[in-house]
Amino acid sequence: MAGTEGMAQREQVRIGISLPLTGPASASGKAAEAGYRLALDEINKAGGVLGRRLQIFIEDDGNLPAKAVPIFTKFVTVDRVHAITGIFGSAVGVSIVGPAKLHEPLIAMLGAASPLVERGFEGYKYLFHYHPWAYHNMEAVFSFMEFVRTGTGASTIAMLYEDGPFGSAGIGDTRAELIKRGFDVPFMESFKSGSGDFTALLSRAKRHPVDVLFWIGFDADALPIAVQSREVGFKPRLIFGTPASWPVGYEGNPVARDVAGMAGWTSASPLPASKEFVKKYQAKYGGLTEEYMAPMGFVTLTTLAAAMNKAGTTDRDRVAAELARTDADTPLGKLRFKPSRLSPSVYQGFDSDLWMVFQFREGRRVPVWPKSMAAGPLAWRWR
Amino acid sequence: MELFLQTLANALIQSGTYALASAGLALAVGVLHIVNFAHGEFLMVGAFVAYWLSVLAGIDPIASLVPAGAVMFAASGAIYHASIRRVLLAPELNALLLTFGIGITLQNLAILVFGATPRVVHTAYQLTVVTLGPVSVGVAPLVTLVVSVTLLAGMYAVLYRTGVGKSIRAVAQNRTGAHLVGLDVDRIYLLTFGIASALAAIAGSMVLVRIGASPHMGFGFVLKAFAIIVMAGLGNLTGVLWASLVLATAEAFVRTYVPGGGGAAEAVFFLLIFFTLVWRSWRTA
Repeated sequence: MAGTEGMAQREQVRIGISLPLTGPASASGKAAEAGYRLALDEINKAGGVLGRRLQIFIEDDGNLPAKAVPIFTKFVTVDRVHAITGIFGSAVGVSIVGPAKLHEPLIAMLGAASPLVERGFEGYKYLFHYHPWAYHNMEAVFSFMEFVRTGTGASTIAMLYEDGPFGSAGIGDTRAELIKRGFDVPFMESFKSGSGDFTALLSRAKRHPVDVLFWIGFDADALPIAVQSREVGFKPRLIFGTPASWPVGYEGNPVARDVAGMAGWTSASPLPASKEFVKKYQAKYGGLTEEYMAPMGFVTLTTLAAAMNKAGTTDRDRVAAELARTDADTPLGKLRFKPSRLSPSVYQGFDSDLWMVFQFREGRRVPVWPKSMAAGPLAWRWR
Repeated sequence: MELFLQTLANALIQSGTYALASAGLALAVGVLHIVNFAHGEFLMVGAFVAYWLSVLAGIDPIASLVPAGAVMFAASGAIYHASIRRVLLAPELNALLLTFGIGITLQNLAILVFGATPRVVHTAYQLTVVTLGPVSVGVAPLVTLVVSVTLLAGMYAVLYRTGVGKSIRAVAQNRTGAHLVGLDVDRIYLLTFGIASALAAIAGSMVLVRIGASPHMGFGFVLKAFAIIVMAGLGNLTGVLWASLVLATAEAFVRTYVPGGGGAAEAVFFLLIFFTLVWRSWRTA
């Protein structure tokens, strides 16, 4: 780096952002990037951080540990950033445990669900984890199922799960917990995500008069499950899926009508901070997003910048102390950090309260649960 | 009994998709003697062509099989001239690596241009189901089965009832002999590769309705297609139909009757390749 350029850079506050901009997780990564860039504009328009311009370094980790580790190291040793953010996905989260403990930077981690990441960072004092962990996600699923049972009397669930780490992690515990809560789970089967043929599994599920089909998989599985359920005459009263993202065009497909999904956010959220975010997003990008990683990226950078401003310095310990005191109304709901459940040294932001359940209706995602976020009643007539 | 009949119906329906996806690969292996590992990505290109025609021009994906096939026929000509024809006489590994590279390139180009998220279309008949007693099947896969059988029958007729077909078979049997009697071998290769690629694209436009289009969709199909052409006998076009039915039936029964079969069914194609090769070597020993 040239000397003058180096001096100019030192005058700025620098943040490194590692995101999956290519590969299977790129939908989430690109959404987060849009949120980060929106936040950057806002922060710099409002005078930057500590009266200096905020500079971000966005790198594509492809959701691959082999790329994420050198990016992380570059942020610390070459770009000399004041904090690192982004970092999406459990595999990437686990991979940076070593370099993080070596260099000890301040990390505002976008999200990983696996408790392996949480345990890996045990004893680390500078990790602020925004996204809920997997057990938070399942707590939200259980609460929703309770809501379904009390509201409709439904009590039987068929479960389909992809047989990779995402779908199968803790699936036995999930089933056991549902049974403990009084549900009957007469059918549970794994599938290979992306295989495209669910007819045999759905034909078997059809033999059980279940109320709910609960599936855990990826976006590529959403259309085949809905289409082929009809093809083989399988008619649960509700199809509920939890992929990280949904296919493009799924909303407008009549097949998707009243299919339910779980999301950290939708553009229809009634929260004032969310409405403001949607307005800003539309002004900058000229359209809407339904990806919750967009507000997540926005929230991560704005809260990090706010903590630096409050601390009056970029000193890692003082910024971390301010970040720990965060109490903000965000598009995703109230954000306060607390000790993480499995590793109390880790600061945990959102928990099971983040999640809402929506149904696809009239080409939109209509929030139906929890009641405080609902824009309509749960439609109980998928068939 | 109801489940058994539904499983048979599911297998029959799925075999149509498999046959369509495998026919082009069988042709490429039989005539050009190359295993085209980019065949799955050609299928993916067909799915995206049909997707955009549906979104931009409102053309039904089934009607898109003609333009999707035509686009891939033309594109494959360029691919053939730029690369494939240079490895036809080289050791087989060269063709394998080349087509694998073409597949990776196409997949990554699709990710760059369209993103990794799958895209879906909607049609009126997506929701239409035909019920026969205890068995029900979707209209879309039923149409795929009909198209598949029709195309394979048409191809058989072309190969065995026309002059062009006779030329293709002559080149497949003996390249040098065909050249000596005055056939333009390079042109026959180009035509055959174009037809094989167009068949992949047609398969892509047909599966769009049921599974959508995504850059990663091709790889799974090419593995299944490979198992089918091994079972049918390399280059045996007529064997593709029954081999597709065998694979689809085996998968459907594993998924239905084997505990945990939903995940295990994806290994069935591998077992079928294994047992076919063992059986063949035992027969010829």
